[in-house]
Amino acid sequence: MLQILDIAKPFGDLDRPVDAETERAVTRWLYTEARLLDAERYQEWLDRLIDPEIHYWMPDMETRRRDDPRGTFCYGEAAYFDDTHKELTIRVRRYNEPSAWADNPATRHAHLISNIEVNETDVPGLLAVHSAFTNVRNRNEADQDIIHGRREDVLRVVEGGFRLVRRRVFIVQNVLLSKNLNTFF
Amino acid sequence: MCEGSECKGAAKGRPDMKPVYPKAGSYPEFATLVNRDNAQVDRRVFVDEAVYQAELRQIFARAWLFLAHESQIPNPGDFIRTSMGEDDVIVVRQRDRSVKAFLNSCPHRGNRVCMVDAGTKARGFICNYHGWSFGIDGGLRGTDGKVYEKDEHFEKAQITLTPVAQIDSYKGLIFATFDPDAPSLADFLGPFTFYLDIMLDNDEGGTEFIGGAIKSEIDCNWKFPAENFVGDILHAFWTHQSGAQAILGGGVDLGKRYDELAFQASVYGHGIETNLDKVGNTRTLGYPELVDYTFDLVEKAKDRLGDVRSRAIGAVSSCTVFPNFSFLPGQNTFRVWHPRGPGKIELVVWTLVNKNAPDHIKEMYRKGVMMTFSPGGVFEMDDGENWEYSTRVNQGFVTRQQPLHYALGMGSVDLDRDLPGHIHKGSLNDANQRMFYTRWAEFMQHDNWTDLQNGETAPPEKSVKVAAE
Repeated sequence: MLQILDIAKPFGDLDRPVDAETERAVTRWLYTEARLLDAERYQEWLDRLIDPEIHYWMPDMETRRRDDPRGTFCYGEAAYFDDTHKELTIRVRRYNEPSAWADNPATRHAHLISNIEVNETDVPGLLAVHSAFTNVRNRNEADQDIIHGRREDVLRVVEGGFRLVRRRVFIVQNVLLSKNLNTFF
Repeated sequence: MCEGSECKGAAKGRPDMKPVYPKAGSYPEFATLVNRDNAQVDRRVFVDEAVYQAELRQIFARAWLFLAHESQIPNPGDFIRTSMGEDDVIVVRQRDRSVKAFLNSCPHRGNRVCMVDAGTKARGFICNYHGWSFGIDGGLRGTDGKVYEKDEHFEKAQITLTPVAQIDSYKGLIFATFDPDAPSLADFLGPFTFYLDIMLDNDEGGTEFIGGAIKSEIDCNWKFPAENFVGDILHAFWTHQSGAQAILGGGVDLGKRYDELAFQASVYGHGIETNLDKVGNTRTLGYPELVDYTFDLVEKAKDRLGDVRSRAIGAVSSCTVFPNFSFLPGQNTFRVWHPRGPGKIELVVWTLVNKNAPDHIKEMYRKGVMMTFSPGGVFEMDDGENWEYSTRVNQGFVTRQQPLHYALGMGSVDLDRDLPGHIHKGSLNDANQRMFYTRWAEFMQHDNWTDLQNGETAPPEKSVKVAAE
C-alpha cells in the first residue's frame, strides 16, 4: 500500500502547497461535500465524491498521559468509523429507510469547513488535504449537538474533479457529548 | 478527628483517616413506586432528584458493580479509571497480580489523583495539587517538600486512597462494592452465572476485551437502557427496523421455533431474554464468516454448556446484570450505563471476544460492534432518542402522575422448564423488567442484605440445584 493511503499514518510536514487554481478546486469540492451532507444527500455523496477504495476512519480519542506510548488514538482500537465503501454503503442504506427514527423528523445539519490546506504528495494524482470542521446538528425543538474536529483527507484527482480515498477524522471530545452520530464528517 | 476507643493506628491528636463506607437506609415510600400487582411503574423513579439520591445510597453504594475485564489490565501497574455510580474509581493491577480499586480522590484536598482514562506500568498516582503521591496499592508514599515529615500530627502509614470495600472477579469480569456487609460476588450473582457463562465460558481459553472503550452521553435515566437490555427485545422490531433493513435487507426474524424455544430468566433482578436461534444476533454484524464461526462454536460448546446455552451464544438475546451492566450475546457488546443525575448517563461500551478466536474473527467483532452498537452504529443510533424522551417528558407534572404499563406476559410464568431462576415463556415479555423493578424496590426498601437476598427476586429453590449441577 502507498504510505500516503495508510490510515494509521499521519501526514508529514504540509510544506508542498499546490498552486492557487488547484487549491480553489479542492476548496470548491469540500464545500460541495458539506452542502450535500447538510442536505442529507448521502447517496449522492457516496456516488459522486467517494472513491471505491475509500478508508474512512474516526477513532475514539482517549485521555492519556503525554508520556504514554499509546497516544491519544491508535489504529485498530475503538473507533466511531473504520469504514470501507461497503460499510459506508450500509450506513447510507439506513438513512434511506423511512423508519430511521433518529432521522425522522429530519435533523437540521450545518457542516462548516475551514483551515483548508492543500498539498502535493509523492504520488502524482493524490493530494493531501487538511481541514477543520464544525458540525452542528439540531433536532426537534432544542436538541443540539456541536462537534469540532480536524480532517486529514487524501483526494484522488479524477476526470472532472476529485474522489475521497482516505479520511482521518479527529474530534476534540473524549466522552462523545451526543447520543448518536447520525451524520458524516 | 480521632475520638474514643474505636480509633486504631492513629496516635492521640492525629486525624483518623479510616475509610468511611456509607450505611444504607430504608425508603418504603419509594419502594411503593413499583406496583407489582398492577405491573405499573411510577414515572417519578425516572426524574425525581430525591429518588436518584436514594439510588446512589441504596443501590450504587451497595451492589456489586462492574469495573473492568481482567484483560484490560494484564500487568502490574496497568490501570483504568471508571465509575461506581457517580464515584470516580481507579482499578489497578498489583505486583502480586491481584487487583485493587480506590476512589480517585486525594485524602488531602480531594482532587483527583488520576486524570487519564487508562495507562500501563504505572508506579503510582500523584496528585497535581500538593504532590501527595500514592503507590499502586493506594498507600501514601510521599508528599512534596519536607514539612509533613517534621509534623508529629502526620502519620503517613495510615493515609491511603479509599479502597472499595470488596473486590472480586467472575470469569474475567472484575466487580466491586462499597459495602463491607455485601454478600460475596458469587452470592450476589447467584445462579445467574449459569447464563453469564453463555458469553464468558463458551470455549476454552477465556475471554478478553478488544479495542478499548467508546464513551458517550445520553440524556436519559439509567434505568431505561438497563431495563431495555434486561428483557426488551420487543423494541427491536420497531426501533431497529431501519438498521435491520440496512444490514440484513429485512426485518429482525425470530424464526419458526420461537414459541417453543424463547424464554426470559431472572435472578435477583439480573435478567436475560433469549430466542435460542443460534445466530440471530451475530447475523446483524453483517459478516457471513462470523455467522459460520458462531455455528461452529454452538456445536463445539454443547459439551461445555449443554444444548440450551450453546444455542444462546449468538441468538437474538440481551442481558443486564443488576443494576447497570449489560451485554448482547452474539453481538458481543458489553456496556455500563453510569448514572450522571436522574436525567443523564455516561455510556461506556467494549467488545468481548474469546481469546482463542482467530485474529480476523476478532477484527470482525470489533468492526461489527462499531457498525451496530456504538454511537454511529445503525442500531444504537435509534435507541438514544427513545430513552431521552421517555425520561424528559416526565418533567410534565401531570405527565409524571400517569403510570407506565409493564404488563406484557403477566400469565407467562414457566414452572416446568429446568433452568435456574424465574423463567417466563417467550422473550417478547415484560417479565424480566417487572423483576428488575421489583429488585429496585427491594433495594429501596431494605437496609440489610438478609432481606435483600431473600425477597421475591431471589432464585426459586429448584434453580439453585440446577445451577449447582
